[in-house]
Amino acid sequence: MYGGDEVSAIVIDLGSHTCKAGYAGEDAPKAVFPSVVGSIDQAGAVEDIKPERDSEPMPDSKNGVRSFDSEKTKSKRKLYVGSQALGYRRDHMEVISPIRDGVVVDWDVVDKIWDHAFRERLLIDPKEHPMLLAEPSSNVPQQRERAAELMFESYKVPALFLAKNAVLTSFASGRATSLVVDSGGGSTTVAAVHDGFVLQKAVSSSPIGGEFLSECMMKSLESKGIVLKPRYSFKRKEIRPGEFQSIDLDFPNTTESYRLYCQKLIASDIKECVCRAPDTAYDESAYANIPMTSYELPDGQTIEIGADRFKIPDILFNPSLVQTIPGMESFNDPAAFRGLPQMVIESINKCDVDIRRELFSSILLAGGTASMQQLKERLEKDLMEEAPQAARVKVLASGNATERRFSVWIGGSILASLGSFQQMWFSKAEYDEHGVSYIQRKCP
Amino acid sequence: MAFLRSSSNASSGMGVADDCKHIFSELQRKKMHRYVVFKIDEKRKEVIVEKTGAATESYDEFVASLPENDCRYAVYDFDFVTEENCQKSKIFFVAWSPAVSRIRAKMLYAASKDRFRRELDGIHYEIQATDPTEMDIDVLRERAN
Repeated sequence: MYGGDEVSAIVIDLGSHTCKAGYAGEDAPKAVFPSVVGSIDQAGAVEDIKPERDSEPMPDSKNGVRSFDSEKTKSKRKLYVGSQALGYRRDHMEVISPIRDGVVVDWDVVDKIWDHAFRERLLIDPKEHPMLLAEPSSNVPQQRERAAELMFESYKVPALFLAKNAVLTSFASGRATSLVVDSGGGSTTVAAVHDGFVLQKAVSSSPIGGEFLSECMMKSLESKGIVLKPRYSFKRKEIRPGEFQSIDLDFPNTTESYRLYCQKLIASDIKECVCRAPDTAYDESAYANIPMTSYELPDGQTIEIGADRFKIPDILFNPSLVQTIPGMESFNDPAAFRGLPQMVIESINKCDVDIRRELFSSILLAGGTASMQQLKERLEKDLMEEAPQAARVKVLASGNATERRFSVWIGGSILASLGSFQQMWFSKAEYDEHGVSYIQRKCP
Repeated sequence: MAFLRSSSNASSGMGVADDCKHIFSELQRKKMHRYVVFKIDEKRKEVIVEKTGAATESYDEFVASLPENDCRYAVYDFDFVTEENCQKSKIFFVAWSPAVSRIRAKMLYAASKDRFRRELDGIHYEIQATDPTEMDIDVLRERAN
């Protein structure tokens, strides 16, 4: 049993898009930074990468980030973590993600991200703090053991706990049984939780998350001739008081993945500023004359956004809309064929008949993309139309945007700070005695 | 697998005071109480009995005994007459977690529920309620029938 009550625990929720880290007991994470990192091959052999890149089948269409999982580049690359380090353009710096389809594919990068969180952001010594890690609802045993091994062996943490995303969200809303719809950056996951357990057969996920919507926004703007210029690619000069001119700069050694990363940051901001879920299914002709909303790009040009304000969010409900966006026609990932309401209904129908009613009346919205305006109302409306007659549909979301976005982290923060929880940790002593597989028993 | 599990994924580790089971069995076997309200005592790290209601008390009195802005657990002994004119009694477990209560309290009660619920043997139905409409007497009646 681990009894370290006095030192506060550290809670980390490493999502596909953002890493949230902070002290247990606080109401928001202290450090929030991208889960992607910049990587420069240190051997200086740029030629080495080039052919390899060409042979890669396709850039990862879901997050637009190329992931290296080739073992050979591991030892000789330099990684840049954090929004500041990533914000600075460097020659030949690729942007890579350690997570693909919700599974960690590059533990070196994860290691680097944790290290950044502990030593540069939270300024703590991991040897002194128990760690609570939030994990995807359908995490596989090998991944959990790998995480535990890394924490105990290289960070020498005194104790560890792995809690499932959906369970934390569910508990934080006061429910031991619920259906959690977590729409985050990299994906959307629907998971049923019953008595504090994730029902694995009723977990489904789709690659349509915030990142994907940002990409659609970008492609749609491009088709209208609007190019999003990343901040590094131009210089603004005041030619007359109050009047600016931007001059394009040329950096031929900028990688494609870095340019995309920067453009998507802009597209994501546009999306957050102007988009809202339409009240009913998107219809091209009905929205043709919708009033335009203006948005000022970093280089000073003002663009007008009309129907896309509604069309882009509607992709969550009706993924086939993607095919009408120029440049996205080729997208046909079978995992993304169902819209949110279908995912919810399918997931509930995979559960035991006895708990379906309860699930229908406790649908919880969480994650960054779920903060989209009108999303809750629209989902509730669509579900009422499609759910069985007897079911009382109730979609719940915290009114507070921070709570919605960080619900997983907040759940972990409270759990790890409870006095009674201190006996639940998987301690270093237990790890030494029983080995890493004991994590499956301690954190079911 | 349901029969293998010992506690939920993120259980809070909260204990259960001895008199909880005792008072519950008084409600179940001797019908001494209409309802029992339980609360979590964080200092003692266990669930304790907060209040019991006499067998003559009404459902409204039971609902009124739950705080508006804090979480509780409760059991209620629901007596009713079936369509065949048969007198019946069912025991309901209510996890009361109003939306306005503090997020810390919600987490605490939700993460401790599974363990506590297992201590009480003989519950027929379970209800989680975040506002009074979710535990309306009609909801109970509908579940019991």
